[in-house]
Amino acid sequence: MTFGISHRRAAGVALTLAAGLLLTACASAEPAPSGATDEPGEFVRGEALRLGVLGDPLSWDPSQAHVGHLLQPYQAVYDTLIMREPDGALSPMLATEWSYNEDLTELTLELRDDVTFSDGEAFDAEAVKANVENFKAGNGRQAAQLADVEAVEVVDADTVVLELSQPNPALEYYLSQAAGLMGSPAAIGTEGIATLPVGSGPYVMDSTSSVPGSQYVFTANENYWNPELVKFNRVEMKVLTDVTARVNALVSGQIDATLVDARTAGQVEAAGKTLSANQVDWTGLLLLDRDGKLAPALADVRVRQAINYALDREAMLEQVQLGAGTVTNQVFGPESGAYVDELDETYSYDPEKARELLDDAGYGDGFELTIPTFPGLESIVPLLTQQFADVGITLIAESVPPQNIQADIAGGKFPAAYFFLFQGEPWVAINQMISTEATYNAFDSTSPELQKLIDEVRITGATSDDAAKKINEYVTEEAWFAPLYRLDQMYFYDPNTITSVPQTQMAVPSIYNYSPVQK
Amino acid sequence: MVSFTLRRLGAGVVLLIAISILTYSILFFSSANIARNLLGDQATEEQIVLKEQQLGLDQPFLSRFADWFMSALSGDFGRSWFTSEPVAVAIANRLPITLTLVAVAILLTAIISTLIGMLAAVKRGWMDRAVQIGAVIGYAAPGFVIAVLFVTIFAVQLRLVPPVSTISPGATAAAWFTSLLLPVIALAINAVASSAQQLRSAIIKQLERDYVRTLRSRGIAEREILFRHVLRSAAPAGLTILSLQFIGMLGGAVIVEQIFALPGIGSLAVTATASGDIPVVMGVVLFTVIIVIVVNLLVDLVNGWLNPKVRVS
Repeated sequence: MTFGISHRRAAGVALTLAAGLLLTACASAEPAPSGATDEPGEFVRGEALRLGVLGDPLSWDPSQAHVGHLLQPYQAVYDTLIMREPDGALSPMLATEWSYNEDLTELTLELRDDVTFSDGEAFDAEAVKANVENFKAGNGRQAAQLADVEAVEVVDADTVVLELSQPNPALEYYLSQAAGLMGSPAAIGTEGIATLPVGSGPYVMDSTSSVPGSQYVFTANENYWNPELVKFNRVEMKVLTDVTARVNALVSGQIDATLVDARTAGQVEAAGKTLSANQVDWTGLLLLDRDGKLAPALADVRVRQAINYALDREAMLEQVQLGAGTVTNQVFGPESGAYVDELDETYSYDPEKARELLDDAGYGDGFELTIPTFPGLESIVPLLTQQFADVGITLIAESVPPQNIQADIAGGKFPAAYFFLFQGEPWVAINQMISTEATYNAFDSTSPELQKLIDEVRITGATSDDAAKKINEYVTEEAWFAPLYRLDQMYFYDPNTITSVPQTQMAVPSIYNYSPVQK
Repeated sequence: MVSFTLRRLGAGVVLLIAISILTYSILFFSSANIARNLLGDQATEEQIVLKEQQLGLDQPFLSRFADWFMSALSGDFGRSWFTSEPVAVAIANRLPITLTLVAVAILLTAIISTLIGMLAAVKRGWMDRAVQIGAVIGYAAPGFVIAVLFVTIFAVQLRLVPPVSTISPGATAAAWFTSLLLPVIALAINAVASSAQQLRSAIIKQLERDYVRTLRSRGIAEREILFRHVLRSAAPAGLTILSLQFIGMLGGAVIVEQIFALPGIGSLAVTATASGDIPVVMGVVLFTVIIVIVVNLLVDLVNGWLNPKVRVS
């Protein structure tokens, strides 16, 4: 069907053929020699991959890199130490193998010895050390990823040890993300790398054709250590912030793939594009003021549960998202390892029960709850207001300028907020909204029981999922949040030119997940 | 004429400084949380404090403004806080696109609205009424609605031009033409509608003046009266209208550039303002003000040349 890959292997990983190639390419430390397949026909590189991207990567300094859809551009020019496959499994990339010591405070990485950066510098243990230090000093958007890494020890040219101040169960994952991006040691730390990336990735930026904020053009890295990942001669990323512009560009064939939204998906589908949806964010209410500082009613768990029972999630999903999503009662995603199936039956729509709980809590006459509102919530806020009113709660939506929204929520200016949050790995999610350091735990809510579970996740390494599940059960039963649904990311591609495989926890695929259609 | 020009230039400089102070203070006092927005929701408090120091956000207003102003005087507009791209480079890359867009649109507006305004004023009757109704419709339809409609019909349905700009460094003239065609028309429609209407009134006013009657009574041909006398007398009014349209179009370009993903000043202004990227916003505002001042000066000079009375007043 597509390019040279054995069906047996592809079926074995239960992914599409394109994903199968990716896995065969990176599951072993040494790349499989190209052409080593049992199917006829040589893989032909695609001429160009043209993507509509949502935002500008801003700085190309790897220390300023970001997660999710903003990681993709960096992947074109930089390799990560560890590769994250479409299903989330970690596999070798610049690091061929890695292991922890007994108490999970030292991560030893073995490195490839055949990699050079596009400026001719060699990739080795010293380069890793320089990058880790650059990342920590860069104060970038994901600097927290390496906050627990204290020092880097160069053992020999291809062995390096990351020394941790305390165990961090997400470190290996982080090394497949922003923290794992490796830039040339000669370029990092200079001003130039902000606008001209120098990495060892499958593509090299063509700076004369690139305009920051508008478009970036990359050409194939002909000296790349794993030619199978270089699937196009040229990659173009057009920055299209407006969803209408993205839809138009895709429908008219100016680009091969982009992310649209539920309301425009129909038009794109009608134009013959293929949907490759996955779920990355959950949306709903953060019931932040669990000690009742601003809204005393929220201190009572029965009130927070009542809010959960008051929500008709199915109706809201249908009206706001045209059904493109999955209703949920938990804030952890199905791929995270902390997900518990049964939790989704905790709070079915039951306004009667909500009124009873409010009555028991002494709020039978209702109370007022203020949340911030901002552009994008126009359709959800009236529905929330209506459903809250049905059980006697008066919802007041206060308009907040978009640039203040994050600071206002994190700063504890509102007892509750409607928001969209990324569903990451358990440790990432815990540090985003559950631990006392988390941005979206504005009032530092905690309990000895919860803190014990968090500590357990930190130190149990590979088996931490059980403790993470307990945390999930805790915050769901304690009704820390009132989640509504996980949103479908409406990623479409043109099946006549490329194939594309969704990447777990990313709204857009990794750069490796695209393949040209083979004639 | 020289002292007139100098006076106008002096006023321009004062205006430039006043607008810089005003814009900077608005940005300073309204754009909170820049460091937090820059770093995203994973950042710790320490990181945010450090970032604020790095950007100089912990400095008081006056010292920040003074820093910026002194550097700007020496031609250094700084670097974008978000992309690290030098502001001067960002503007130099984008200004040609916006200027081409607006200049072509204003040229089209000048030609078409003069023709329509003249026809309506001279012929009157049904032609005049048609022009007036057309003007109301054209004026009422917002530029961005026209733009979206055009994209849907001509780019997405008929595939005559690309819906999203293909202008990039080294792009061919054809790419510029096809990328700018729809945006120019979208910008020009509003302008033509209102300018034609005002030019019509200006011409009618001249046609009713005594000197026209005198010229007619001396047997001078209608055509000559219209082109040599009436149009020349109506020109100052027309020029003023067009200069106002030009400034309005710089604003309209902001939205049109977003719709067509044109990498111009407007889209730069939108992203920079939304994110609170003060160096870029200041750069964009300064260059826009300079353009407006230069255009106004040119219009004044041409008006002075057409009508000596303007020079003294």
